[in-house]
Amino acid sequence: MLQVEGVIKSFDDFMAVDGANLTVGKGEIVAVIGPNGAGKTTLFNLITGALKRDRGRIVFKGEDISELPPYEICKKGITRSYQIVNIFPRLTVFGNVQVAVLSHQRRSSNLFQPAQNIAVKETRSILESVGLLDKEKGIAGSLSHGDQKILEIAIALGNEPELLILDEPTAGMSPEETQAAIELIKRLAQMRGLTILFCEHDMDIVFSIAQSIMVMRHGQTIIQGSLKEVRSNKEVQEAYLGGE
Amino acid sequence: MTFGPAELICQLLVGISRSMLLFIVCAGLSFVLGVLRIPNIAHGTLYMIGAFATFSVTKMFAGSAGFWIALIVAPLLVAVVSLVAERALFCHLYQREHLMLLLFTFAISLILGDLVKIVWGAEYKSVSAPALLKGSISILGASFPRYNLFLILIGPLVAVAIWLFTNKTKIGKISRAAAVDREMVGVLGINVSWVFAIAFVIGCYLAGVGGALVAPTVSITLGMDHTLIIEAFLIVIIGGLGNMWGALVGSLIFGLTHSFGVLFWPQFAIVFPYIAVVIVLLLRPKGLLKSVW
Amino acid sequence: MFKNFFHSKGFGLVAGIFIILFILPLFAPRFYVYILALIYVTSLLAMSLNMVVGHGGLFQFHHGVFYGVGAYAVALMLTKTSLPMWVGFIVGPVVAAITGLIIGWFCVRLTRLYFGMLQISLGSLIWAIVFRWYSFTGGDDGIHGIPMPSLISSLNSSYYFILIILVVCLILMYMILKSPFGSTLQAIRDNSQRCEAVGINVRRYQLGGIVVATFFAGVAGVLFVALERSVFAEMLFWVLSLEIFIMCLLGGWFTFAGPILGAAITVALRTFVGKYTEYWTLILGIMLILVIFFLPEGVMGFFQGLFKPGMKEVAERGK
Repeated sequence: MLQVEGVIKSFDDFMAVDGANLTVGKGEIVAVIGPNGAGKTTLFNLITGALKRDRGRIVFKGEDISELPPYEICKKGITRSYQIVNIFPRLTVFGNVQVAVLSHQRRSSNLFQPAQNIAVKETRSILESVGLLDKEKGIAGSLSHGDQKILEIAIALGNEPELLILDEPTAGMSPEETQAAIELIKRLAQMRGLTILFCEHDMDIVFSIAQSIMVMRHGQTIIQGSLKEVRSNKEVQEAYLGGE
Repeated sequence: MTFGPAELICQLLVGISRSMLLFIVCAGLSFVLGVLRIPNIAHGTLYMIGAFATFSVTKMFAGSAGFWIALIVAPLLVAVVSLVAERALFCHLYQREHLMLLLFTFAISLILGDLVKIVWGAEYKSVSAPALLKGSISILGASFPRYNLFLILIGPLVAVAIWLFTNKTKIGKISRAAAVDREMVGVLGINVSWVFAIAFVIGCYLAGVGGALVAPTVSITLGMDHTLIIEAFLIVIIGGLGNMWGALVGSLIFGLTHSFGVLFWPQFAIVFPYIAVVIVLLLRPKGLLKSVW
Repeated sequence: MFKNFFHSKGFGLVAGIFIILFILPLFAPRFYVYILALIYVTSLLAMSLNMVVGHGGLFQFHHGVFYGVGAYAVALMLTKTSLPMWVGFIVGPVVAAITGLIIGWFCVRLTRLYFGMLQISLGSLIWAIVFRWYSFTGGDDGIHGIPMPSLISSLNSSYYFILIILVVCLILMYMILKSPFGSTLQAIRDNSQRCEAVGINVRRYQLGGIVVATFFAGVAGVLFVALERSVFAEMLFWVLSLEIFIMCLLGGWFTFAGPILGAAITVALRTFVGKYTEYWTLILGIMLILVIFFLPEGVMGFFQGLFKPGMKEVAERGK
């Protein structure tokens, strides 16, 4: 479904991504792992169009999306959640998700109907599926950090994506919240037939839900493969057991 | 619209002299903008105070001596006013966002503007140039005012003085450092508060100098502050925020296009600089030279 | 949409206010009728700015230009052409909106501060041209004695005309802000990057917001002409644009009706302080300083902070 081929991105002289390759099949759950600074977030930014690559190709469902702006890529079916909470703090929880739903339904430019009556069912169903329906009237900025991370995912679901990219979805969560989040991700993937690409530092999570793992280091892809293949790879062992 | 090369050159020189005047004022504005991050709308009102003060001082002394004395005294007066404003009010607001600082300086300009009205009244004033600089000289047969020649000579002097200050004196170098990273400067144990006060006063002093220098060339009116400050801001913007050389480049662009306009379409002469500003910003939205921001 | 409003407590208050405002000309002296009409015009202008700044998050630094362009457009239509007068009334806001579209198109490509700086330079260019084009626009004299349709030629009738148009515009603005377009604009204000990521073409929406806001600014310009029968070059000068900004600050950026309060305070202060002293600018400057020092959220924002603590905390966190 998604193919990243030999992508390179540098900032002035710093090579953030220096030859990354990734393959994500339809319906798969793929994890990207690597030490801090390996280029994982930059890679996600490149896929979603927030950054433009210097070289390489990004192909989604057979179409080259390397040159498209972020809002076009979203319309193609890719959305993401962010590592550092990136919500709409002044809007309500309901409003946060509704922005995405309205955009998906192409009704964002509607000028004269009250927004509170539009796309209510769809927005509520998303909130319910992530467990935030009871907090829908709260101001997003005043939610707890864990709830905000869940809201992150909810917003990303608003566009009914085919590929959902999650950037460290459990960062900063307590163990209970993390457990709940994992269950949620698994459930969502099943119910909605989502393809999921995520990155995490917590290896337990990676090993419990990822079907394919891509390892990055210094902006390069070391290997992508199943859990067994990755575990037994010598370079990976060096990167994780030697350096850390 | 017939003019020969002599008129052309004269107008070019007039343009340069106007640019020098603008440069002195804009250098001060840019300096304060760069070091303190304050977009000081009151800068124009301080310029106006410099001009009015020059009027008063010149009147006090018979003959030409008045003007030369005013040239020294008026900017000092402006510097004192700015020091008072800085210590009493500005220094409490440095943590606020720039929009608030801008509105605050606007409020100060309203207050100072009315104070000028109270002290000097609403009628326009005029100052005559000192005997030494009165009249004109002949350049290739066309007449060129001596006072403008004086301005052309003063401009580079001020530029050199500013350069020496920011590059060769301790305070100047600290100001430059503070412009780029004020936290580091504080960490180094330097009293940032006093650096800011001094930098602010120097910037405002330049406004006073500009006001004193412009006094013999225009009618001194209320409202000259508001007309000047928009031009000054546009110049600083196209030059690069906080950049002294940018202020010079911007002033030259503004002054020369104005002169160009006077030659070719006198009624709309003032429109030409504004067109130039728009063109520059369309091509280089962040200004021509590097900005400190 | 308005069902809830009719049943709410606020409705009684607002309805009461409007009834008073409607019957005011019957017993109040001419001067007060005039001042109120001026407040209505200024409120509409301030509200239109708040659409792009408070709700849209754009650095619209020279909004006054669109007000002035709308006013000059209708003034020129009424004095230089023999077209029916009501045509001029429509042309004004349309010309303002087109100007907004053109200027906005150039500015939207830039972010924040640079958006504002380019707009100031374009707006100042327009001011310079109008200021100097004596034969066409009256230069720094402006245009005076503009003829009005007989229907609104008296002070009272123009008062009602302005009040009615103001109410219609406020209702439209409210609907727009509560519509999906409005909530998208506010989302863009809060987090334009996230909006791009959820499929919104941010620049297009910002441009749309600018066109709507400048249209209303043009309407305010037309109303000004209906009241004063004159236009002045000062309407295009940067000082007015900054004053409108201050009205929104005084009243509160993020509330719906805050700018109305800000406009009312400013006009009232200017008029009534001006009656006692010719140095009212001084007083205005002092009051502005006090507000900046003590009420960072504006007057209405301050009161909202008292009643809705959640919002204030969010705003603080945002800083």
